[in-house]
Order: sequence, then structure tokens, then C-alpha cells
Amino acid sequence: MLQTAFNGVVTGVIMALPALAVTLLFGVLKFPNFAVGAMMTVAAYLAFALNAQLGWPLAAAAVAAALAMGALCVGIDHLTFRPLRERGAITLMVASLGLGFILENVARFAYGNSARSFAIELARPFRVADVRMNYEQMITIAVSSAAMIAMYVLLTRLPMGRAMRAVADNPSLALVRGIESPRVIRWTWFLAGILLALGGVLIGMDRALEPPMGSNYLISVFAAAIFGGLGSPLGAFVGALVIGLVSELSTLVMAPNYRIGVPLVAIAVILVFRPQGLFGQPYIRK
Amino acid sequence: MSSILKVSGLHAGYGAGDILKGVDVELAAGSILTIIGPNGSGKSTLAKTLAGLLPARAGTVELEGRPLDQLSAPKRVLAGISYVPQEYNVFRNLTVLENLKIAREFMGANGHGRRGFDERLEELFPELPMHYRIAAGNLSGGQRQMLAFACALTARPRLLILDEPSAGLSPILTREVFERVERVNRTGVSILMIEQNAIEALRISHRCIVLSGGRVRACASAQEVLEMKDLNSLYLGDASNRI
Repeated sequence: MLQTAFNGVVTGVIMALPALAVTLLFGVLKFPNFAVGAMMTVAAYLAFALNAQLGWPLAAAAVAAALAMGALCVGIDHLTFRPLRERGAITLMVASLGLGFILENVARFAYGNSARSFAIELARPFRVADVRMNYEQMITIAVSSAAMIAMYVLLTRLPMGRAMRAVADNPSLALVRGIESPRVIRWTWFLAGILLALGGVLIGMDRALEPPMGSNYLISVFAAAIFGGLGSPLGAFVGALVIGLVSELSTLVMAPNYRIGVPLVAIAVILVFRPQGLFGQPYIRK
Repeated sequence: MSSILKVSGLHAGYGAGDILKGVDVELAAGSILTIIGPNGSGKSTLAKTLAGLLPARAGTVELEGRPLDQLSAPKRVLAGISYVPQEYNVFRNLTVLENLKIAREFMGANGHGRRGFDERLEELFPELPMHYRIAAGNLSGGQRQMLAFACALTARPRLLILDEPSAGLSPILTREVFERVERVNRTGVSILMIEQNAIEALRISHRCIVLSGGRVRACASAQEVLEMKDLNSLYLGDASNRI
């Protein structure tokens, strides 16, 4: 039971990063970006290229991949989403599905379908209070927690973070408060790219690198963001932990194959009883 | 007195048709101009167009002789226009202090003479510091309006555009809002105010424009309009015959 709960926490903190990216993008751009899974995959392969092929330490490769993914996301927005911005959320959502398909297949074209792994030394697992843990899981918890704290500080203490929350809250008021939305949108994509890259690397460390590695997490990541309340960074974190924990704990009472149903049930339950999610604000049509 | 705002032949609207059909407005520097008119006459459309939220389809807008037509809404803020929308005029999920910080950080208000200005702002809105940590969405309607004013004034604008500042407020709060508007005007800020509450608004205004069907039907001093026996006729479109 304790071991399963710990595994659930690790799964949750891995999902927290892409869930935060989803919620940031949705808050500012008002559309669900279904390309986040493939973006994680591409970033993980970028880190793989630097780490396993060029021999960089994984930490340096992850940082470089995160910055590169941030810049790539800004470029992708410029080429793909910006020209469609005035056409509404459905058009942008469909574009993100197509983009995800392309990105995942770029990774498949470059590295094939076989599973790969980062060049890191294998360490023997250790036990704490009868719970088996390993070094990678500790790194995962530390990196994810540090990223979440950094995002919290950015969103609440820095002018650009406040501007992002302002645009998410009321885009037209933000304009007459002097906030240039294009700049805020670029920063949002850059930060989302960094979060997705870190998420991709953590998934690669936890499992293996393969083209569908990101899209396998897509439903859980969206469930976490919706459960916590789309647009709420705190909600994304709590939602990811809840979905991760419940998914793992569900294996105690039913076959692991059915675990994929847990996030779907979570989406259904929250939409029926609290459509705005745990920490989201009720939607007001303006 | 020189004019701070000059609008000539302004056309604007949503979709296929124009809502504003050739509007002319001139606002004397340091004065309050109130725009009244029936629902759907284009008052809020005029405010949004002046603020840069809606593009003008024809006509010109000048602030102190400088054309604003090519400027985005954020650039108009830097040029000296502050706009307070009728509804949703504060960031509801941000605290009162965060709302004020955003105004200071992005409305070009940081700089020389900041401290003295902050003191004047606290004098005008002494109730705000008590609510700094509260989410703006949890404030009462009157408090939200005061916060929206304070944010708009943080930019130290030369022209303040207020879209129905008394909407949804009780009579006591309405009087308080108009009193603040008058005090703000006394600090030298020119004000263009859109109001349904015509009598209260005209009492503090210098001039009045009646807008109906997207056109200026009348333009007169506020006193003249107040002295009219039948103010309702202004809303029925025959104002030009009465003033």
C-alpha cells in the first residue's frame, strides 16, 4: 500500500509539469493544446541526443533541451497558432492535434520505434520505511518540486508572471492596462516549453524513450489540469498528485490494465460536481 | 480653452454594420464631458474605439493634436489615455495590490515623482490599502469601481474615459463615485464619461453630448441640458430640436 502510494506520488509529480504547461497555455490562449504529449517526446529526444549521443551529463542536456524546447515552442506558435488565433478555440485545438501528430512522427522518423534510454549510471534502489525508492525517483521529485516553486515565484512575484495571470483573467482589460499580449504569449509558450521538456526528460528517466511516450500521458495530464481547474497553476499540481495517487492505488482493487480509466472517471466526476475544477474559477461569459 | 481630445467623423462597429456613424467629439482640456443616450446608441462602442479595443473604420482621433489611429490599446495608455470599462474592470483573480502593481508596471507609471503621486492616490482612495491582500473579485461593486479608478489613475493619464462608473451601484455609492470623479478632475485630469444616470452625471460635468443611433444628436453645456424640462426627450432622438 505505502509502496503503491509512493509510486503514485512519483507519477503525480511527473505529470504536474506538463499539467502546469497545459493550464498556463489554456489560461492565456484559451484552447486545449493536444500537442503537449508530442512536445514532451521531442524534448526528451533532444536531451537524449545531447546526453547519449554527444556525451553531455543528463542535467546539462536537460537544461539545454528545456531552453531549446522553449524557443521551439515560441517558433511553433509563430508559424502554427498565431495565424489561426482569431478563428477560435476549436480551430486551434484541431491544429494542435495535427501538430502533435507531426511532431511525434518527426521523432519516430529520426529515432525509430524502439525504446531507448538516457546514458545514466544505474544505481541500486534503497529502502525507507519499507518503501523501495531509487535515485531517479528522488531526482524526479526534486526537479518537479523546484520547477513548481520557481513557477509559483514567477507567477506571483514577477511582473511578467502577474501579466500572464492578468491576460488569463481578462484579456481585453489587460490591453487597456498597458499589457502587450503578444509578448505575454511568447513568454507563456517559452515557459510551457521548458516545463514540457523537463516533463519529457523525467518520463524518459522513469520509463523509456519511445515516440508515443508523451501522448501516453496525454489523458492523465489533461485530467490533472481539468481536475485541478484549467487555468489554475496550484490546481494543476494538486490535480496531478491526486490523479497519480488514485491511478496507482486503483491497482490494489482492480487489474492494472484498467488504470487508464481512472483519469477519465476523474474528468467525468469533476465536470458533473464542480465543472470549474478544484481551484478553478467559474466560467463567466463576457 | 484648448481641446485635449478631438474626434472627427468616427465610424466603428462589429460585424458588417457600423454602430458609430460619423461621430464628432471635442473635449476641452481639464473638463468633464458626459455622453448620454439610449441603450444601443453606441456610447460604449465609442469608449472602446477611443481606448483602442475596437478599430476605427473611418475618421480620426487626436489626443493633444497627436493622431492615435495607428496606436494599439497599450500604446494609447502610454500616450495618456486611461479607460475604465463598465464591467469586468479589475482582474478578479488577482489581489487588490496585484491589480495596482500591474497598473504601475505596465501603464508607464514608474519614474520621477512617483512617491508624491502615490500619496495623492492614497488620499483619493484611502480604503484600498485595507483590502490589499483580498482578491479583487471579492470586493463589493463600489470597492471594485474605486480600485478600477485607482488603477486607471496610476498611469497618470491626461484623459480618463469612464464607461458608466455608477452602473449597478446604490444611490449613496453613486454619489460617492461622482464625488471622486469630480476630485480626480480637479487634479487636472480631463474626463470623458459615459452615463445612464444623466442627472447626477451632468451635475459634475461641463459639457454633454447626446448620442443616438450612432450619431451625435446634440452637444451643449451640462447646465443647459440640466435645465431642460423633459430630459427624457434626449433619449427619444429629438434632442437636436430642443437644445
